[in-house]
Amino acid sequence: MGELEARALRKVYTTRRATVTALDGLDFVARRGEFVSIVGPSGCGKSTLLYILAGFVEATAGGVTVDSQPIRGPDPSRGIVFQEFALFEWKTVLGNIAYGLAEQGVGRRERTEKARRYVDLVKLTGFERHFPKELSGGMKQRVALARTLIVDPDILLMDEPFGAVDAQTRIVLQQELLEIWERSGKTVVFVTHSVDEALHLSDRVYVLSGRPARVREIVDVDLPRPRDPEAILALPEYSRLHRRIWGLLQ
Amino acid sequence: MIAVLVVLALWELAPRLGWVRSESVPAFSDVVREAAAIVTRPEFLDQLGASAGRWAAGLGLAVVIGVPLGLAMGRSRALHALVDPLLVAGYPVPKAALILVFVLWWGAGDASRIAVVVTGALIPLVISSYHGAAAVRPALLWSARGLGTGRWRLWRRVVLPAALPQILSGVRIAIAISIFTVLASELLIRGSGIGAYMFTALDNGQTLTVFAMSVIVATLGFALDVLYAAAVRRAVPWIEGDV
Repeated sequence: MGELEARALRKVYTTRRATVTALDGLDFVARRGEFVSIVGPSGCGKSTLLYILAGFVEATAGGVTVDSQPIRGPDPSRGIVFQEFALFEWKTVLGNIAYGLAEQGVGRRERTEKARRYVDLVKLTGFERHFPKELSGGMKQRVALARTLIVDPDILLMDEPFGAVDAQTRIVLQQELLEIWERSGKTVVFVTHSVDEALHLSDRVYVLSGRPARVREIVDVDLPRPRDPEAILALPEYSRLHRRIWGLLQ
Repeated sequence: MIAVLVVLALWELAPRLGWVRSESVPAFSDVVREAAAIVTRPEFLDQLGASAGRWAAGLGLAVVIGVPLGLAMGRSRALHALVDPLLVAGYPVPKAALILVFVLWWGAGDASRIAVVVTGALIPLVISSYHGAAAVRPALLWSARGLGTGRWRLWRRVVLPAALPQILSGVRIAIAISIFTVLASELLIRGSGIGAYMFTALDNGQTLTVFAMSVIVATLGFALDVLYAAAVRRAVPWIEGDV
């Protein structure tokens, strides 16, 4: 479970003023259990690609399959985490995390119990009854992550999830995400504009060109795991990959 | 606060010192004493009940019609394009002027009075609900869709709660407007209600009663607004700031 494939994706936006081609003939594969990052110049269509993979946006041409089955709209088996958290402001931490279970018809007692475990998983114990407005950016993103993980998606789609938190929190969250990913075996597709973040986390990095986005190159990241965020910086391979991706982005 | 005290002091002193005739402007303390006497009279409470019933019915109907309409406009560009010109055209129309039209259609009864209240409260409710629904971010809707919420369920699970702060602000404005329109309708149609009671006092030359009633109505309106804001703060603790 969890092999995600897109073939010859094309996306054209038509507004009153102009026609914009966001994606043009883009192929993408994330194998089961793989951590794949997508980097590219800002505004190149990285997020559009992710939204098409999620089923929120329909491609103009081309198609997306999961385990060889064409996708039909959004589905809990493909979980999403947004940069701006997109929490339900009217629900508590516990209510946000339990949301997906409620939508599946899981009873109150059972979903509260399970939601508490996910509160612990993302280290928010004690904040169950807080509303999103009372949380810091990093805490909000933990809630968003738990809200997505609780329905146990095979594929995790992340749209610059740590882009709106401070640098220290970011490193902590990256490390926690890696631990969760390594334990769960989920497929992760991770959009970022940070080359360091992509190298720290991924098995492979898709480097996209500017608009319209095409795949410029797919870079394999053969750095040892588990990765120490400090130690990998010292590896010659790390600097080589970093220079290479930077070169591709220019 | 100081400005209010100055006005009240002038109101008290002007008739006492003979600057104005007390038949035109009774002293504030006399007005308050009269108001306190009026609120205990059973016939006043009957009239108040009649007005309150119309007010609640009109406001309730306006909420039931206006909120869903505004929310739907916020999510459908076509519906917005259809209804918005009507709102723009209807906004500056003094709703009290419609009373006579309603009387022509439905007679001088409760239906006409309530209809005026509905028309007055409707526009702020539609506009605030529209803005609330239009401002719901796609990421929020997508998050819910991705967690298994169906298209129709989104209305109840996301659009309505996300728009709630704006809707509640709209209700607050609608409360103030509907108190005004219910009184206007009773002043014009008479029959029963606080407005009619005031007009009868005026006809009988009871200046003091007219003033006392105005003070009572103003106090009720103010109290309703304060109570509403407090109730919202209590019932909806997740809202940022005031409604």
